[in-house]
Amino acid sequence: MSRLTSRFNWLGFSTFFGFIVLWELLIRLKLISFDYVPPPSEVFVAARDLILNGEMQLNLQHTLTAALVGWIIASVVGVILGVLLAVLRPMWTYSMASVDALRSLPIVAFVPVAVLLFGFSLQMEIVLSFYGALWPVLLNTFAGMRDVEPRLLEVGRVMRLSKASRIWKLQLPSATSHIVVGMRLGLAISLVLTLVAEMVGNPAGLGFALVQAAQALQPAQMFAYIVAIGVSGIILNAGLIRVARLLFSGQMASSGESK
Amino acid sequence: MNEDMSIDQSPHDGGDSGSISLECDDLKVTLVGAAGPVDILRDVNFSVAKGEFVSILGASGSGKTTLLRVLGGLQAAAGGKVRCNGVRVSGPPAGVVTVFQDYANSLLPWRNIRRNVGLGIEASMSKDDCYSRVDEALALVNLQDRWNEYPWRLSGGMQQRVQIARALAMKPSILLMDEPFGALDAMTRASLQDELQHVQGLTGTTIVFVTHDVEEAVYLSDRVLVLQKTPAAVGLELATALPRPRDQMSTKESPDYLRLRHKVYEALGHRVGH
Repeated sequence: MSRLTSRFNWLGFSTFFGFIVLWELLIRLKLISFDYVPPPSEVFVAARDLILNGEMQLNLQHTLTAALVGWIIASVVGVILGVLLAVLRPMWTYSMASVDALRSLPIVAFVPVAVLLFGFSLQMEIVLSFYGALWPVLLNTFAGMRDVEPRLLEVGRVMRLSKASRIWKLQLPSATSHIVVGMRLGLAISLVLTLVAEMVGNPAGLGFALVQAAQALQPAQMFAYIVAIGVSGIILNAGLIRVARLLFSGQMASSGESK
Repeated sequence: MNEDMSIDQSPHDGGDSGSISLECDDLKVTLVGAAGPVDILRDVNFSVAKGEFVSILGASGSGKTTLLRVLGGLQAAAGGKVRCNGVRVSGPPAGVVTVFQDYANSLLPWRNIRRNVGLGIEASMSKDDCYSRVDEALALVNLQDRWNEYPWRLSGGMQQRVQIARALAMKPSILLMDEPFGALDAMTRASLQDELQHVQGLTGTTIVFVTHDVEEAVYLSDRVLVLQKTPAAVGLELATALPRPRDQMSTKESPDYLRLRHKVYEALGHRVGH
């Protein structure tokens, strides 16, 4: 517990809190006046109301389910494909041009395509979340597998490890920190794409709630949803790092990701 | 094994059985550089007896490391033959382990010491057998208490000991060492030299030791080979015949040691007054 409190960035937190207070003051003292910028206190009240009537939880659950399911599938598929691309030379030769072409297309361009193919459904959101997260996971896994220290591969040969155990015991562990970076990037993209899918496609979840609040001229509700999205992104990212450190303590520590 | 016995011409005191552990026959090695293929080694002939300690010396860039990589099956020869326990080398042979100079890159940073040392044997035996072999190997290099550390928490000397223990855990018949103490300070180096002598006394492993340190080569070896010219070949072959066990003070003060050291420096092109 004392380790947690000593690690907490009090100075950073007070700066952040200072900005909130400043925002409140600027609006209350009429120093700035936009019609639809509510003070933080009103946002807080709106958030409390949304939580009390259950809408916040419902929307949050819908969006996070879509984003996380797509992201988890993308992580599994991305790691497998990244490893295969790095290990099987012919596979790389045949597919790298296509991979480069597909991943450089702006992903948002696929949103109407997915709507057309899968309709206004949760499935469509999951597909988009999957597609967005797939590329960073795949490419970071590939780069990590290729980035293994050449001396370690020689050690593997000297110890007469089989090709499979060279991949499993040398390459994959040294790619771990790359893979985690890819998964973090993918998680951020998954959340964005899920929200976009809800704004322009499936009328559900936080994305749709955000648009609805804007159209109903409810700025306090809108900001409450924005805060909810931000906070859930931060929590998911922190959770991912914690899980990675727990599962791969040696790999993460050796690549300077400890503490 | 039966043909080509004539190339074993050297007198040595270490190989009492006389049987050959490693042999190079008209070895030629070509590496492709920026300016096309370059011959690094040509007409290299020597053999190493079972249990012998042979050092390979040479100026910087003379091809010592390349020669060791060929012996260890990490680099292909362009001509000639390399045999290891009578079998032609193509790829790292069983029973031969190379210890590299850069211990930090050679150890798995995500595994603790015990699992690093077990890397080469864990697939072929039960966990208990593996760990008892590992503990045995760690005891040989005086690291039995540090098994649960990660390698990057240890000093350079200890990390190199871990790499040596990992090689010993495989119970190799031949140990190839590429400037293993080159990156260590003088005191650590001296104590590791003595540990290595002690380990060889216990295990009887054949050791081929590449170094650029003349004192280290003479102090440790039964025989010293000096690579000369470009492309390099064995220029000087010198049996040391210093009594064992050797120690850092009396051996290094003995007239025989000083005479051998003088000869090796001469073979490397040093002259008095320069």
